[in-house]
Amino acid sequence: MAEITFPLPDLGEGLIEATVLEWLVSPGDQVERNQPLVEVETTKSAVELPSPQAGKVVRIHGGPGDKINVGEPLIVFEVPDNTAGIVGTVPKEEAPKRRVRLSAVLDED
Amino acid sequence: MSNAILESGAAMADGTPRRGVEQLSMQQALNLALDEVLAANPKALVFGEDCGRLGGVFRVTDGLQAKYGTGRVFDTPLAESGILGMSVGLAMAGFHSIPEVQFDGFAYPAINQIVCQIARMNYRSRGTMPMPITLRVPSFGGIRAPEHHGESLEALFAHVPGLKVVSPSNPHEAYHLLKYAAERPDPVVFMEPKSRYWQKGEVDFDSADPAGSPAGGSPAGAKVMRAGRHLTLVAWGAMVARCLQVAELAAEDGIDIEVLDLRWLKPIDEAALAASVRKTRRAVVVHEAPLTSGLGAEVAQLITQACFDTLKAPVERVTGFDVPYPSGDLEDEYIPNIDRILFGIQRVLEYKRG
Repeated sequence: MAEITFPLPDLGEGLIEATVLEWLVSPGDQVERNQPLVEVETTKSAVELPSPQAGKVVRIHGGPGDKINVGEPLIVFEVPDNTAGIVGTVPKEEAPKRRVRLSAVLDED
Repeated sequence: MSNAILESGAAMADGTPRRGVEQLSMQQALNLALDEVLAANPKALVFGEDCGRLGGVFRVTDGLQAKYGTGRVFDTPLAESGILGMSVGLAMAGFHSIPEVQFDGFAYPAINQIVCQIARMNYRSRGTMPMPITLRVPSFGGIRAPEHHGESLEALFAHVPGLKVVSPSNPHEAYHLLKYAAERPDPVVFMEPKSRYWQKGEVDFDSADPAGSPAGGSPAGAKVMRAGRHLTLVAWGAMVARCLQVAELAAEDGIDIEVLDLRWLKPIDEAALAASVRKTRRAVVVHEAPLTSGLGAEVAQLITQACFDTLKAPVERVTGFDVPYPSGDLEDEYIPNIDRILFGIQRVLEYKRG
């Protein structure tokens, strides 16, 4: 397993920090991409941050009221080695589904 | 970073190629092929963005830097023109570069180096400066990635004289085609279907082509992946697996489909195309790339040229659309799906000569 750290992004134009209001996930949780992770407040607004990826939460940084600087670690995920670092999502193998049926008169000329 | 992939699929410690049959993912198969190439050829080098310490964003170069050192497996700056420009100089100095462009869409900044230098240096120098460069490009769509991460550039590269272009469709093909490409004296663009990196399959190390094909056991040409009587589906890369699914579904309706994995997109195995379609008399070509001036047009023309007298219908193309590759949510609408391929087959089956 590999660890991936997600640093606090700049949530506005040139903001330098944000204050944690409430964590919506805990260490040990398995999260999906785009699942809300945490509510933070900046000098502009309070926002929920969606998860940039799927993975298991290993660590979260800062409790309610704590300030985190942009670029500092916010959350650490654990992901399988064969998906560490990919941009995108590992496709799921699904049983083939069809709606179209074929019909033909096959003369063997 | 652990070496999980390397441990589960490494060449023997002394670099001896593996024997027998193993279940591997395409990532593992490519990793193993690179491992064996590096072991066998002291002039072989592997480099690109994140290829060294991280082991590649798709884990294909995992563990290779630890095994072969930072002099032979290394990270580069985020500058594709530099990655490919350096490959030109290294080729002149006698090295065999195996650079990686991290994603298909990142090849554009290196087009000058690929087209103006790599493809024609051998020609320009009257054969005194061959360019043994194996350019690995994770290609095509299917992983819900952002822009520039899902493009199909085969027609662009195939159009350039001096380049060879190949795309594996499964782990077995990936292992043998990469080893084969890395032994060529010519530049080869190696397009890895990124949506197929994780699927496992049987790799037969002893034989590149155990099933037997028009290529005669060599990784050099196309390969019949499923024999059939009524229609030939021509595909490459990730579309081969989808066409094999379609063939199974068509069999439920009594239609017996042959699936031809083109493998080499430059040069195209015209003899294999002709042999297959002379038998089935119908053909549909499937690709992810946009329709207009896509490689499907070339394939359709080659089939028509060879089989015009016996074709029962014009060759159909089932492809992506003439739009920039869409964002993840629209991907399933863009990439030819099972129903669109079945519709293409139906159009060919019901065609009546005027």
